[in-house]
Amino acid sequence: MSSIAEILWVEKYRPRTLDDIVNQREVVERLKLFVKEKNMPHLLFAGPPGTGKTTAAHALAHDLYGETYRHYMLELNASDERGINVIREKVKEFARSRAPENVPFKIVLLDESDNMTSDAQQALRRLMELYTVSTRFILVANYPSKIIDPIQSRCAFFRFTALKKEDIVGRLRYIIENEGVRYEDEALDAIYEISEGDMRKAINILQAAASLGMVTVESVFKVVGMARPREVREMIRLALSGDFTGSRNMLRKLMIEYGLSGEDVVKQIHREIFSQELKIPEELRVLIADYLGEIHFRLVEGSDEDIQLAALLAWLALLGKRSQM
Amino acid sequence: MSERKILWIIKYRPKRVDDVIGQDEAKKTIISWLTEWAKGRIPYKKALLLYGPPGVGKTSLVEAIARELNFDILELNASDYRRKSDIKRIVGTAATKKPLLKKGLIILLDEVDGIDPKADEGGLEALVDVIKNTINPIIMTANDPWKEQFRVLRELCELVDFKELTENQIIALLQKICDSEKIYCEREALRWIASRSMGDARAAINDLQAVAEGYGKVTIGLVRAIVRGREKTINIWRTLNEIFYANQAWAAKKAVTQSEEDYESLIRWLNDNIPKKYSDPLDLFRAYDALARATVMLSRAKISGEWGLLSYVFDLMGPGVSLARRSEEILKTRYGFPDWIRLMAQLKPMREEREKLAEYLSYRILASKSTIMNEVIPYMMLIFRNPSDPVIAARLALGYNLSKDMIKYLAGDNTENVIRALEKIKRARPEEVGKETKRGPEKREARKEKSSKGLDYFIKS
Repeated sequence: MSSIAEILWVEKYRPRTLDDIVNQREVVERLKLFVKEKNMPHLLFAGPPGTGKTTAAHALAHDLYGETYRHYMLELNASDERGINVIREKVKEFARSRAPENVPFKIVLLDESDNMTSDAQQALRRLMELYTVSTRFILVANYPSKIIDPIQSRCAFFRFTALKKEDIVGRLRYIIENEGVRYEDEALDAIYEISEGDMRKAINILQAAASLGMVTVESVFKVVGMARPREVREMIRLALSGDFTGSRNMLRKLMIEYGLSGEDVVKQIHREIFSQELKIPEELRVLIADYLGEIHFRLVEGSDEDIQLAALLAWLALLGKRSQM
Repeated sequence: MSERKILWIIKYRPKRVDDVIGQDEAKKTIISWLTEWAKGRIPYKKALLLYGPPGVGKTSLVEAIARELNFDILELNASDYRRKSDIKRIVGTAATKKPLLKKGLIILLDEVDGIDPKADEGGLEALVDVIKNTINPIIMTANDPWKEQFRVLRELCELVDFKELTENQIIALLQKICDSEKIYCEREALRWIASRSMGDARAAINDLQAVAEGYGKVTIGLVRAIVRGREKTINIWRTLNEIFYANQAWAAKKAVTQSEEDYESLIRWLNDNIPKKYSDPLDLFRAYDALARATVMLSRAKISGEWGLLSYVFDLMGPGVSLARRSEEILKTRYGFPDWIRLMAQLKPMREEREKLAEYLSYRILASKSTIMNEVIPYMMLIFRNPSDPVIAARLALGYNLSKDMIKYLAGDNTENVIRALEKIKRARPEEVGKETKRGPEKREARKEKSSKGLDYFIKS
């Protein structure tokens, strides 16, 4: 009897070994050599989101150390760890711990490393030198240009390319077959278009659409629209129409219902104001973005989110009134 | 004077429920709640917390209702019971004693916001215990129940809102007293007293008596000379008025520094009341912009420890908000209590669940917490909030061994459906309960990882 418990398909269908990875062939071939030699330099994986960078790092470690690979790998995420000091402490402690038997090094996987400030990167560079005997670093980044040169020069560089349509659609079909999903072909094209070559996004959309029933173009668009709370657009619309209190109630509802932080809301508004679905005079988009950036900065500084966002909505209400005149 | 006259606030204290001015909502709530007790049923909330500005009839209304419904009343003022030992002794005893003659015994605790969580240590906790164990109705009054230290108390009580009295309601009341005392009064004089009282009937009656008994008549000339603001510190209602109506910067700043409300709660009050007073979009934006910059200054003062910066916080929240108004018009909307504190109380546990879920999934799905929050959780919410097929959500909940709170966060209004589906699965397939689902050979590892806390485990091993 098959298990009734289910997990997210992004996890369920993630390649576990380098052999499982069917795309990014050049990258994978080179990584397999490291496994064969049981040695490797520091690595830098760069490329757009959802192209398999983190997956490849895990698969590499898996092939090096076996099933218990996560014991020999320290996983850090630059956007979750608060500062370089936390990273330094963790790396230090990890480097001291025992190494696996037949491989002379352990791995530090630093995800989203392009989110680090250049000061933090300088500190990281020192860490890489300090522990290079016992430890290898794999840095993962969307934008390699944001990684400082001294780090780039110490790493073997691997470029991951956006996945091609046949890669994405092929994977979706594989999942569909395994899960017995009902679907129409055009829906898979739609998912590919929306995903922009991001496998994680494509699979998430598929699973959510499948949960509603048959996967159709319509259900795909429905899912994508719903995953972005529509209250955000409604809130903007209310504010621009001059209904400050209404938009503020919407804001609070949004935060309560989805547990969003002030920064999340700012990011969502930012996405909305440059979307063509929001019909406003073009110059307004810039005026909103200008103040939005200021508010975003204040939130990062630790200012009160409810009041900062209220000021933003009041600004929208004012702009809305002026553009009517 | 040989004859010591009785205070009018006592003489004219409402005797019957109908004598209490306004507060129709509060009357309905209290009466139906006490009727439950009278019938021998214990309502869902065993205590009421009546809140509102001073002098609007909180205590009088309870007394009048008790009289009409034939309840005994044990009335205690904050100064009688604030210590932990007093609360246990006096209140605790009364709360567990059955009344003999009347329908019931109301324990009325006045001014619970007078309990200082530091000076009267353990007082609030003792009160919470008493409420949990009481067999008699407990009613409390407070001016400002929104401070963080009252959160637990708030959750235990049904909150009853008392509205500030309008000028006309107070004028009518004063007129009635003058008629019954046969005192000559000018309408303008009563209006003056009423407007200075800021919706506080008790203060207005005291002012009226001071003039009437001293001079035998109440004229506009007399009240102008005699009736002024009585306190050194000013209460929140007056603070708000003085900020919103000030025309000069110094007056608005004085209102901030003299307010009995501390500046952090005053910011909250302003935050929720600006749109109740300002309507022009330009005024509204300028006021919020000033207030927003006040909070920026405040966080800088906190972070740097440079408390001298606080002065600029006051400048922006007082004069900044005040002089933001350029149009003549000020809305007549009544002030309201700040909502944000209540909302935060709802928001905090949700955000904690979201954080926990993201941290857990980040380990399973190999992506940062922020990626999980922005790109994975929204799709999960969609699956969990789909009312037509809760089974898929339930299977995921089982696969990730999600806690009830996590399910609640993901499913929102659909929570009950998902939980029901989950219970059904658990009954049908008990062998899968409590396991986390992993693919193939990793299954053995899964158990080990579960007992650890992700990263830390790997660092130590």
